[in-house]
Amino acid sequence: MRPSPAQIALRYVLIILATAIVLIPILWMISLAFKPYNEWQTAATGVHWWPKNPTLGNFEYIFTGQTEGLVVSLDFTAVRPIFASLLTASLGTILAVIVGTLGAYAVSRFKVANNLPLSVLQLRLFPPLAVMIPVMIMWAYLGMIDTWWGLSLIYTIVTLPFSFWLMKTFFDEVPLEIEEAALVEGCSRFRVFWKVTLPMVKAGIASTILFVFILNWSDYLMALLLTRKDWVTIPVYMNALATAMSGQLYGMKAALGLIAAIPPVILGLSIQRYLVRGLTFGALKQ
Amino acid sequence: MSASRKERDAAAAKLSLEKEQRKLGNLMALPAQLLLVFIVAFPLLMQLYVSTTWWSPLDGVPWYMAYESWNWFANYSDLVQDSRLWGAIWRTLLIVIVCVPAQFLLGLGLATLFVDSFPGKTIFYTLLLMPMMVVPAVVGYMFFLLFQQSGPINDLIGVFAGGPAEINWLNDVNLAMVAVMIAEIWEWTPLMFLILLAGLSGVPEDQMRAARLLGANAWQRFWRIVMPRMKTVIIIALVLRTVESLKVFDTLFIMTVGGPGVATESISLYIYKRTFQDLEWSYVASIGLFVLVALSLLAGLGIWFMVRKSTKPAQVATAQQGGALALQEAK
Repeated sequence: MRPSPAQIALRYVLIILATAIVLIPILWMISLAFKPYNEWQTAATGVHWWPKNPTLGNFEYIFTGQTEGLVVSLDFTAVRPIFASLLTASLGTILAVIVGTLGAYAVSRFKVANNLPLSVLQLRLFPPLAVMIPVMIMWAYLGMIDTWWGLSLIYTIVTLPFSFWLMKTFFDEVPLEIEEAALVEGCSRFRVFWKVTLPMVKAGIASTILFVFILNWSDYLMALLLTRKDWVTIPVYMNALATAMSGQLYGMKAALGLIAAIPPVILGLSIQRYLVRGLTFGALKQ
Repeated sequence: MSASRKERDAAAAKLSLEKEQRKLGNLMALPAQLLLVFIVAFPLLMQLYVSTTWWSPLDGVPWYMAYESWNWFANYSDLVQDSRLWGAIWRTLLIVIVCVPAQFLLGLGLATLFVDSFPGKTIFYTLLLMPMMVVPAVVGYMFFLLFQQSGPINDLIGVFAGGPAEINWLNDVNLAMVAVMIAEIWEWTPLMFLILLAGLSGVPEDQMRAARLLGANAWQRFWRIVMPRMKTVIIIALVLRTVESLKVFDTLFIMTVGGPGVATESISLYIYKRTFQDLEWSYVASIGLFVLVALSLLAGLGIWFMVRKSTKPAQVATAQQGGALALQEAK
């Protein structure tokens, strides 16, 4: 039974409507990112969806601290927050994937650490703010507030549930017979893991890394709670971006938001195949 | 005799392999276990301890000396009477009750449009997934911009209403909540869409065709064939979004900071303000524990309910993982 022309038309109308709703907020921010200072305030110029005089001034300002038309210069440019985001998200990702991979393999193959799957999952169940008081006390006590290692460590912990569960599903898919064959040939148990199994889940590890990186890159709350100035990440910096003289820097914030939004969108689309699996902790596979 | 020795040798070899495996396994799980002790066991005890005192970082006393201001359960009895906390809890639940079903229905509707292939499917699919990949803080800022009084939303409304709209979204007690909910729905409908579409695509084509031949209409096919197979997928999607929505913070914080007044203050936002504006850390610790216990009870109840329902052996293939989870808990 083929759908009638009316049905096809209706489907396209609905899909295009949904796509428009999805795109409008994104396009509005992109457009603002390229609008010069005098076009930010829509009250004065009226709402226009496209910049009249498109400019890269907003990007210039957040990177160099000054731009044409703005007298006030920025002391603390976005360069360092971008670096902080990159460094802490990457380190947190690497650690989370290493710890998660080791733990997942142990649980998947050796029938040990039976508590791990659920204990790890519970890290994700509660609102982080409900348990942040002791964490902040500990971080302060250990001198980890506003440091790259302090933030990386919390990122490792926050994303461990994802790396653990994702890697577990990848290991579960590797047939036991392959490992048994290698064992018969006299490989040590660890060598089998390192030389036989790990290469087989390469694609899985790569997508886990990207997935966890997106999560760490998207974090706002942890950086808000555990950094002060030196290691603030892009979202924290973005929300605080304002100068005493010129007030809210709407265009600059939009430019920065665009910079923050691009990596996860690109990475996310590149691992589309594993998104369902990642987001549901491996409970669903596409 | 030699046969039995061979057997014994084989058994011994197997035993030593098992021993080696156990040792290696525990070693490999060790980093994760240590992290859990570091971030769960120890902090929870600390939180419990601090929550029974008046301690604050302003006291100039390290946290382990907090017993100097021991107050037993005064924080907890304060908490029961804290109307601002109960307001925040109510608003958080309201966000969950409105947004999760809205995301679910919209996501399901979209997913049904995408089951068959059609020209342009991939590009639309990709575009529709974008909101959930944008950093949540940036989503907050996007909607902060959209809902400005002279912003594009009012402009669009003005176009349809035939006159300029001057709605002050983010400064109105009721409308601020609406704006925040719209942002939440916008951001997370794609996730529902993604998961539900994965579930719908798993429904076997031949069964649908057979049902159609037997004269089942679309409604019957949906309820009799699609829904039973989708049950696990739907439960997983709803549970995920409910758990995440209860944490809601980023978008709210950037759009309204919980305002105007406390009109959009969620549990997380309230805790944040008490932590950083009032510095009442011991009181916040008690709120945190209270939230933790309440959510644990809720989760336990949910798992108990699911285990009771899913004891039947017949299960969808994709359900196995989710079921395994619940069963592990049951053990």
